[in-house]
Parts: sequence; structure tokens; C-alpha cells
Amino acid sequence: MELFLQSVVNSFIQGGFFSLWAVGLVLVFGVMGVVNFAHGELVMVGAYSIWVLHAQYGLPYIPALCMAVLLVTTIGVLMERFLFRPKREDPLGGLINSLGVLFILQVAAHVVGGTGPAKQVAPPFSGTFVIEEFLRVPYQRLFAVAVSVAALGLLWFFLTRTRLGWSLRAMAQDREAAALQGININRTSMIAIGVSGALAGLAGALMAPMTSIHPHMGHNVIITAFIVTIVGGIGSLSGAVLAAVLYAFLHTFVTAYISGTVATMSGLLIMVLVLIVKPTGIMGKRVSE
Amino acid sequence: MGANKLTHVAGTAALLIALVILPGHLKYHHQDFIIFLTINVLVVVSYRLMTLTGEWSLIHIVMMGVGAYTSALLSKNLGVSVWLSIPLAGVSAGAVAALLSFPLFRMTQFYFLIGSFAVGEAIRLAWVYFVYPFGGSSGINTIPSPELFTIDFMEPIPYFYLVLAVVTLCLLILHRIENSRIGLTLHAVHWKSPLAESVGVNAWKYRTLAFIIASIFVGVAGALKVHYLGNVTPHQFGVGTMVFVLIWVIVGGYNTFYGPILGAIVLSILDEAFRAFEAIRPAIYGVLLIAAIMFMPRGLESVPGWFRERLFRKTAE
Amino acid sequence: MPLLEISKLTKHFGGLTALNDVSFSVDRGEIRGLIGPNGAGKSTMFKNIAGFYTPSAGDILLDGESIRGHAPHEIAGRGVVRTFQETTLFQELSVFQNALVGCHLRARTNIVSAVLGLDGARQRAARQKAAEVLEFMGLSERRDQLASELPLGSQRALAVAIALASSPRLLLMDEPFAGMNPEETRQMMDLTRKVNDSGVTVVLVEHDMKAVMGLCRQITVLNFGTLLTEGSPEEIRNDERVVRAYLGGGHRL
Repeated sequence: MELFLQSVVNSFIQGGFFSLWAVGLVLVFGVMGVVNFAHGELVMVGAYSIWVLHAQYGLPYIPALCMAVLLVTTIGVLMERFLFRPKREDPLGGLINSLGVLFILQVAAHVVGGTGPAKQVAPPFSGTFVIEEFLRVPYQRLFAVAVSVAALGLLWFFLTRTRLGWSLRAMAQDREAAALQGININRTSMIAIGVSGALAGLAGALMAPMTSIHPHMGHNVIITAFIVTIVGGIGSLSGAVLAAVLYAFLHTFVTAYISGTVATMSGLLIMVLVLIVKPTGIMGKRVSE
Repeated sequence: MGANKLTHVAGTAALLIALVILPGHLKYHHQDFIIFLTINVLVVVSYRLMTLTGEWSLIHIVMMGVGAYTSALLSKNLGVSVWLSIPLAGVSAGAVAALLSFPLFRMTQFYFLIGSFAVGEAIRLAWVYFVYPFGGSSGINTIPSPELFTIDFMEPIPYFYLVLAVVTLCLLILHRIENSRIGLTLHAVHWKSPLAESVGVNAWKYRTLAFIIASIFVGVAGALKVHYLGNVTPHQFGVGTMVFVLIWVIVGGYNTFYGPILGAIVLSILDEAFRAFEAIRPAIYGVLLIAAIMFMPRGLESVPGWFRERLFRKTAE
Repeated sequence: MPLLEISKLTKHFGGLTALNDVSFSVDRGEIRGLIGPNGAGKSTMFKNIAGFYTPSAGDILLDGESIRGHAPHEIAGRGVVRTFQETTLFQELSVFQNALVGCHLRARTNIVSAVLGLDGARQRAARQKAAEVLEFMGLSERRDQLASELPLGSQRALAVAIALASSPRLLLMDEPFAGMNPEETRQMMDLTRKVNDSGVTVVLVEHDMKAVMGLCRQITVLNFGTLLTEGSPEEIRNDERVVRAYLGGGHRL
């Protein structure tokens, strides 16, 4: 029972992170048609920024978090401008370029952090919120969930209530038609990857105090983001969030009761099942012929 | 056309002769290197057969693992002769590919790429999870080497000749497949699948066929690797390794049979040269990869043609 | 018995009805025109016949046997082959290789024969057939050129050559004259007649009314997914309803 309740709470926290990871990937794929394999590394850079700025140089957590978001957004924007834009007609080329970035960022992390054991960052918000003697949620985690939800809410507002958000969604639906209607593809792509980078940086910065930071932590992120993206329906943001929460429950519970390996394995198999049975995902729209 | 073919034949012959003479004159460490390089050549060439159909999979290296585990388990646990377990490794990788083709080839393009990645990763995690029979994350150790008369295949030089013979035979077969009717049909499936279907080509069947053949040969490559290394772990077949295969194929150029071979050889030698900078080697790969995609989309194999063209233009003037 | 019989064919896409209860038949040896304003369902009809779509209701009979819902390659195996609206060719293959792909059904082989070269006789026969169809379509001189390097007229001729290489009984041509100048159109019309004279039944979807009227003795008109009328070019030209349908669609007869 204790394990069960604790797992429920953990699932919601995980769900927040999974959403942040996946929504950025979905946005870039939807709007630009690029599979950004370096997305996990963007999260990793966000976490490293916190380790360097906050843990090493003593910058307070919140400003460090803002810097992390800014840095990762910039990396994203540079990727779009110099790597994805020239390869817009060649989706394979964009994908390969993102693999190149993946290697470069991993090595950059090695250079910055040195080899040796994974890094830990002490939680800036100490203390634990005690619901019951057996059910405790550290404040750091509450903060992370609150910020994740706020960020996703803000994104939702941006996409549905602003003109820019509207052009993003139009482009995700049909790039050519959007271009014909006078939507500036370059600018819209830039915004998409900017938002994607900001979310990745934010996720990394929020995770930093609760996880071990190492150059290969992006691997787990990208696998999870793929599973969530496919299950939720490629191009569907609400689908991604729903799938993220569902998958977080599955992953947390299977990890708690069986093993982490089996948890990831079952996620992958569910993803394959969705690809076979309903390639548009649980929330995806029907694509007309 | 004729001259071009002659260059290819001459080049291939020279390379083979060099490979036969070379190993005796190398240091131990370099003998290792050349064995793995030769195996990797088979990995990239078999992968290219798959890409002919226009589908880029991320499961190829996992199929290599299927071959490796099969041969390791057969020879170590069941006492099957290594001479038999190596071809059986190919057969089992082909059989697994045939089974996987049912779910995988319901997808195409991006979905296939991601689907193949997911299935591959799930298989790899199964090797991690099931300690019996796969040995978990530490894998299987003390895998026997082949035995023949008094030749010691634990030594790099005899093993190298074995690998060279097997890989050469496999490349000959793959080359023949590509230049046969089947190769032409695979090309056709790639470029305009509806057009190919409209003249009676069962595109699904040919995609599956390419996947199975590619898996058989990469399965053999996996077995060759495992009986030299003596151990096999799930880590050897991770997506990181797959990315290197992609890089070799793309930087070398996937439009010709020779491109991926060139890519594997040139990049592996570069990689050796950068051994001193162990930590930053992946970044060098990353930069090379991006440079190749941005400035040399047809790969290294286009470089000789480019020079030839300039040379001819010069002489024509 | 007609060669092709379309019986009460209906095709829905989601809530949209692209074809509604359409019936007509095509006799052996005919050149049949299938016309109608944009969005009338002509291309959808072709895709249903060739197996690229599965009809929602109704049947498609070839020589009295249903081919409804079969895969495109199976339908091709029964002798129904289509050409495509845009010039669809294997751009990076040579003209000869393009025709050779068209010979797929006679040249099919298995992997063992291919590697050991046991299928030599078959492949020789395929190469001969490919050379024949190129000769027939007047492309012999261009056989070693890349398909992408051909002028438009020759590209269309090659598309037909690929289809002919599979020895079809019924050839479905999707807008073979689109974008052609009068000279190219005239040559393509001659080729179409020649194909028809060699015993191939032809159904063509086309907007070029002059070409359709010149080629076909019988024309089928679709409008908004339903069969509007059928008749000779003379009857069609004078049919009020056809004229009105086209006026709505912005075309002139």
C-alpha cells in the first residue's frame, strides 16, 4: 500500500517530465518534419548548466535555471538555422545532422564535466512535504511539477490563443498549404525549435537536483520521448501529454514492482503495437488519402 | 563505362592482395584493428542492401547481435562446432528478421525507422533482462574459437584470413544480388513504389526480402566478431553502434556498392589516428557527419569521380 | 462478356463520398474515355480499379471475375496496368532499365537462381521484351539515357512502355496528354492507337477533349462522383447536362 501510494505520486511527477521531453520533440517534428535525435542531449545540456552555474559557481538556482533555458534555446535556434533549414527538403539529412549534434554535445559535456562519476546537485529547496508518515514528497519535486504544469499551460495558451501559435499549428497540419497562406516558414520553424529547446532546457534544469548528471543521460530521454510521441500520436500535443502521464504510471509501477528494464521494454513494445494498430496514435487525427 | 569497370576490378584486386600480404607485417594491435574493420565492411555492405529499398532501419546492429548470441550459445552451451554455428548465426538472424518483418513492414519511412529502433531496443533489453541464457548485462564469456587441424584461431593472423575469406565470399554474393534482377527490383521499390506495384511488383515482399538478406549477412558478421572477441554483451549492439554504421554508410556514400566500404575504411583509419584524443573522438565523428551531409551529399565515393571529371575537362581543354 | 465491368461502385473517404453507385463496362479492344470536371472521381475510379483503393461498396469484374480489394501487384498480375498522372518514372535508372522493371512479371526470379545465374533464359527473354517495347514506342535510340534526361513527350512514352512491358490486357492511362504541346499530343495519340491496335484495351482519363474525342468511340462522363452519361463523342458534345457540368467546372468542350 505504501509503495502503491508513493508510486502514484511519483507517476505524476514523472508524467510532468515526460510531457516536457515529448512535447518539444512533437513540436519540432510536427512543424519542421525533422526527427531531432539530439533532443535528449538538449535536456542533458540543461542539467549540466545547473551543475556548472549553480553547483560549481554558486549562482542561485532560479537565475541558473533561466540561464539554462536560454542556453538550450540558443542551441536549438542555431541547429535550425545552420543544420535543419538547409536540409528542409531532405528529412533524412536533418535527422543525420541531429545525430552529429548528439555526438558533439555529449563530448562537450565530457569536456566541461570531465570524466569520472556522474554529477549530483544538492536540491536548492530542501525539506519534505509530509502527507502521511509513509508518503513524503520533497519540496524540490513539488516545485518541478508546478513549473512543468505552468510551462505546459503557457504553451497551450500560446498555441491556441495567439496568432503565432496559430501559424505553428497551421504549419504542423500542412506545411505547403501554410506557406501558400503566407506563413513565414523560416520564422515559424525558428519559434518551434526555440520553444522545443526552452522546454528541453527547463526539463534538464528541473531534473538536475534529482538525478545523476552524465553525458549519456539523453539516451533515456529520447527513448521515452519517442514512446510518448508515438503512443500519443505524432503531431498531437494533447496526445503527447496524455501519453506521457499514462506512460509515467506504467513505467513507475513496473519499475517499482518488477524492474526498470522490463518497464522500458514494455513501453517499447506498446509503442510498436500502436505503430502497427493505429499509427496515428491514441489522439492522432485521421489522415485523409 | 568499360574503363570505370576496369578501375573497379583493378582496385578491388589490389586491395585484396594488400589485405592478404599486410597482416604479417602489422603490430598485434593493428591486426586486431584490421579484423574488426573487415567484419565492419560486411556490416555496412549488408546494410546498404536494405537501404536500396528506401527504408532506413535502426535494427541492423541488433540483428548482428542476434547472430552473435546465436553462435555464442550454440558453440558454448550446446557444443556445436563453430564451423556450423557461424552459418547458423546467419540463418537465425534471417529467421528473426522474417518474423519481425510482419510488424515492421506495416510501417514505412519515418514510422519504420522509429519502429525498427523500438523493436531493436526491446530485443537488446531482453538480453539484459534474461540472465539465463543471455548472461544479463555482463553477457557471455569464454566463447570457443573455431578449430581446424593444428591452426590456432585464437591468434589474430589465422583468424584474419578466416574473416577475410568469409567476408569476401559474402561480398561476392551481395554484389551478385545487387546486380541481378532482384537488385533492379529493389531499386524500383525504392524510387517509385506505386509505379513498381502497378507493373506487378509486390513491394512488401521485396522489402522483406532485403531485410532478411541483410540480416543473414550481418548475423554472420556478428558470429565472426564473437568468436574472435570471446565474449558478447548487449552493450556492443546499442544504438550508439548503429549510429556509427549509419555514419560509415552515409559518409562513404550509399549510392554505390563501394561507397559504404570506402566510408568504413577511411573513417576507421581516421578513428585510429585520433586514438590519442579518446574523449573527443565522438565529436570528431559528429563534425565529419555534418560536414558530409552538408557539403558532400553523395559521400566519399563521389570524390574520385569529381577528380576524374576535372582531369578530363583539363585534358579536353 | 465485357472485359471490365464496374458494378455499383461506391467509395467513401471519411464523410466524403468520392464515388456513388457508378456502373459502366468496357468491351475488349475499346479505347474508352473517362471524363468529367475536376473532382468528379475519375482518378479515384482508376485507383479503385488498379487496387490502390479498396471500394466501399460495389464490385469490379475483370472477364467476369471480381478483382475488388486485391493488391495492386496482384491486379497487375491479371493484366490490368495503370500509368500515372504526373510523369512517374524511375528517374535515376536508364530508359532500358525502366522498361526492364516493367518486365517484372516475366522476369521474376528467386534469390538462389539470381546468385547462381540459373535464371539466364528468363532474363534474356525479359531483356528482349524490354527492347521490343522501346522499339514499339520509338525509344530505341534513347535506351541508355537516364529517364530524368528525357523530354516530356518521351517520358510519357516511356511510362507507357513500362506498362506495356508487363503485357497488359487493360491499360489505364491517367491524363497522358497533360501539359503537352499539339505536336506531342498528336504523337501520343498515334502511339495510343498503335497500342490499342496491338490488342490492348485502353481506358483513359483526360482533360484534353480534342484528344479524347479523336481517340474514343465511346465516352463515359462522371460528375460529382456519379455517372452522368455515356455515349459517342457526338452525343457527348451535344448533351446539355455535360455542357452544364463543365461550365460549372470552368472547362470548355
